[in-house]
Amino acid sequence: MSKISRRDLLQYIGAGGIGAVGGVLYSESIERDVELIIPQVVPPEDYSPGIATWYNTVCNQCSAGCGISVRIREGKAKKIEGNPVHPVSQGRLCARGQSGLNVLYNPDRIREPLTNAGQRGTGNFYPISWDEVLTTIASRIGRLKIENNASRVRLLTGRVRGHLDELFAQFMGLLGSDHYQQYDFTYPSALKAANKISFGIDQLPYYDIKNADLLLSFGADYLGTWISPVHHSLAYGHMRQGRAGRRGKTVQVEPRMSLSGAAADEWVAARPGTEGLLALGIAHILVSDGHYNGSDRDQWSDVLQAYSPSAVSAETDISEGNIRQLAREFGTSKAALAIAGGATTAGTNAVASAVAVNALNHLAGNLGQPGGIIFNSDQAFSATPGTRQAGMQGILDLVEAMEAGEVDVLLVHDSNPIFSLPDGVGFRQALDKVPLIVALSSFRDETTEQADLILPTNTYLESWGDDVPDPGVGFPVASISQPVVTTLYDTLPVGDIILSLARQIGGELPMAMPWRTMEEFVKERWREEYAMRESGGADQDFEAFWQAALEAGVWGQPGVMTGDQIVPSSSSTIAAITNPASQFAGSETDYPLVLHPYLSASLLDGRGANLPWLQELPDPLTSVVYGSWAELNPATAEDLGIREGDVLEVETPAGSVKVPALIFPALRPGVVAMPIGQGHTSYGRYARNRGANPMDLVSMQIDDRSGDLAWAATRARVRNTGERLQIIKTDGITRTLGRQILGPENDHA
Amino acid sequence: MKWGSDLSTLVEKFRQYLKPGYYDEFDYHWTMTIDLDRCTGCEACVVACQAENNLPIVGEKRYARNREIKWIRIERYWEGEYPDVKMGFIPMLCQHCDDAPCEIACPVFATYHNQDGLNTQIYNRCIGTRTCAVYCPYEVRYFNWFTYTWDEPLEQQLNPDVTVREKGVMEKCTFCIQRIRLAKDNAKDDDRRRVRDGEVVPACVQSCPTEAMAFGDSNDPEAKVSKMMKDPRAYTVLEELNTTPSIVYLKKAHAES
Repeated sequence: MSKISRRDLLQYIGAGGIGAVGGVLYSESIERDVELIIPQVVPPEDYSPGIATWYNTVCNQCSAGCGISVRIREGKAKKIEGNPVHPVSQGRLCARGQSGLNVLYNPDRIREPLTNAGQRGTGNFYPISWDEVLTTIASRIGRLKIENNASRVRLLTGRVRGHLDELFAQFMGLLGSDHYQQYDFTYPSALKAANKISFGIDQLPYYDIKNADLLLSFGADYLGTWISPVHHSLAYGHMRQGRAGRRGKTVQVEPRMSLSGAAADEWVAARPGTEGLLALGIAHILVSDGHYNGSDRDQWSDVLQAYSPSAVSAETDISEGNIRQLAREFGTSKAALAIAGGATTAGTNAVASAVAVNALNHLAGNLGQPGGIIFNSDQAFSATPGTRQAGMQGILDLVEAMEAGEVDVLLVHDSNPIFSLPDGVGFRQALDKVPLIVALSSFRDETTEQADLILPTNTYLESWGDDVPDPGVGFPVASISQPVVTTLYDTLPVGDIILSLARQIGGELPMAMPWRTMEEFVKERWREEYAMRESGGADQDFEAFWQAALEAGVWGQPGVMTGDQIVPSSSSTIAAITNPASQFAGSETDYPLVLHPYLSASLLDGRGANLPWLQELPDPLTSVVYGSWAELNPATAEDLGIREGDVLEVETPAGSVKVPALIFPALRPGVVAMPIGQGHTSYGRYARNRGANPMDLVSMQIDDRSGDLAWAATRARVRNTGERLQIIKTDGITRTLGRQILGPENDHA
Repeated sequence: MKWGSDLSTLVEKFRQYLKPGYYDEFDYHWTMTIDLDRCTGCEACVVACQAENNLPIVGEKRYARNREIKWIRIERYWEGEYPDVKMGFIPMLCQHCDDAPCEIACPVFATYHNQDGLNTQIYNRCIGTRTCAVYCPYEVRYFNWFTYTWDEPLEQQLNPDVTVREKGVMEKCTFCIQRIRLAKDNAKDDDRRRVRDGEVVPACVQSCPTEAMAFGDSNDPEAKVSKMMKDPRAYTVLEELNTTPSIVYLKKAHAES
């Protein structure tokens, strides 16, 4: 018998195996390409069965810009964790960020280019080839460009930062259209406008919660939804228990207890729309009681004259004693910090309210100080994030242009204005006047449904890009996104789509945008940036730097302060102080309640509604899953004879929705609160036809100074329809009943 | 060897098993501390656990009938009435009790205590009597009433290190035993006898944005958990039941003034 070597034996086994399976798979193999056996022998790069590889990239689930590490096993993404070396997330990550896997592997992703075959809005889409769809769009835009009508092309995106932002701007600029704008519902436009007035810096500053002793938050749910929740949570943990013998205190002013309100030592339910007044009331006492002794004390005293504790107490419904105590604590605290966000910066006087809160920071003298406001003036990578945020005014201008027939091609990327804006804006109706709507999107959300052509984009976990966190962290930071898995479907990264459109449109575009892919473009820009910073850095040095940056996922210069921490003078803040009380749509007699919409901690502004993990994540304060609800204070509910599960018709001057009632103890009487996020009419199986969208109730009002939507300035009334609907929640008994579950002594129930 | 001698060894072992404090002498005693003064109830841990341990997506209808499966959940307790109303959060997961009521209850020994002080569940052995869930005072055992499926291609996310459970099986927090195994393997590969403090990080602890949770070996006096357990705020939930949980909470502090 001839000797069979081990290698031969393995070959025989392999061949036999193929033979055996071949018969079974025969029918399938007629349709499929030949199944390659090569990958079994030569594994792809970084592919070793049983061994996990981690790739660093950037989270795109909100605007914080957390660095993430994605665990890959056998070419599939298994888990997302925070990138430990990234200064924003520091290895931690929130529920939304971790649910990014549901975005990547979502069953409702758009898998190929689609056309509606001339029937817009019917929801009927048919596959079309990339060649055809790109040629169609390129020829349309190309013609407009030749006719010098490129301004009839508009580009609307969600929050886009880093060099993708530059790519969009360059593309539109070369076409000859200056109509590239971004709209992100969660972008703190009013806060930014107020900071520009107060500090003269057109950038969001870094709020140093970590080193604060007293954090006074006016409506800003900094632990749940405001700006950078993971980073704030890290700071919060440190502030509470990270400094031996020094426990920071937090106070939250808001009509409905948020996650941050629950964490706070004191929750102050001022009358909705008067939070800014309360800030001025505190400022008044700080000056009059001698907590503030700056040279401009007289000017402060003059401008704050009208906001005496008694006057403010009457308006805000907070007792004079309480206001005085808040002022005393704020004035005597070593590091006091005041922040504004949420509904406080969503009234008709949003900017005035934020300026009032800035006044407190001026009086606390915390500007540029640890535990105060650190300015980010000079950002890394010459990118200035947030400058293209259109705000509400930009959207209104776009709607007007569309209505006037001035828009021939509308490109929409990752933005869903039909869902996140009130009907009063008229965005959907205006779309009827646009001959060609092109959506660049991964999901069929409400706005994408109205498109004529859908260009399916890669998700952020399959794309190249980079990001500069906004606000920064006090020193220069830039992160790189890289694909962590191979593209799942016949989709393209949005940057690649723009680049191939540029090639096809021709003219000067292909010369000015010579990159084949987004990867090439990003790398090129980083190479330039590297050469600028490391003057004379050789190319091979850059390659080493690039590899290191890819591995770390982030580049930064800790210790280098970005802004020259000049303390801005108080004069502009003093000059800008006006009565910050908000005006509400609807009369108090017709609409006795105030509508308080709030961002859902899991679904945010609705973008998370298509992710099953987030739909199944109990709401932090109510434990409700799947669906939406309207909250009422127990006393208000009793007055109206409403029990939990009664279906209410919530009605405002703008419209009405039907939604089950939930009795919520930590809500100001006379307020009806509703989470934003549900009520999608499209957006995949997990989101569609579930709950109600409170934006349908919001009256169209804007804050004059920032042009931002005043989404928390509408009055409402409720009517018990007599129907019942089960609210699905995980909570059983929500009192400890003496069981001392929260610890000995803590128990007063 | 005779049957009798074998049996006496087993009896001896079983007596040791019943002896309280046995695990203090024996190898690791995995312990978790949760600082409620840091915890904000954000539920990052809940999703981290879902991703790591292949928890099913149960769907709206089944959720409505309390068929949820969440190895770690946030419990919420109100204190007082408006306007002096406070919300207290507490993450609730298997307490890995040293004197676990569930272990006594199981007729087929599907749940038992391993040498690391973990309360473990053997899925293959479980026959689904659900007795353990009744005995558990913390309500942290979850029963698979159905064989759950994932809408394609969500199943590609499933963690290959963790079993996907089927209908009829009880399941609960494992302290991410797959991560403990990996850390032990790594220690062995490095010729170390023991795992270093901080080398094992369960998914929930890893994700916690406020760093409220810590995990380690409480047999090691230098471990972070051992130090946290000495904090005057430390307590265990339902202490009067003498279950001796391996999860130690640090109660929320109150502001001065």
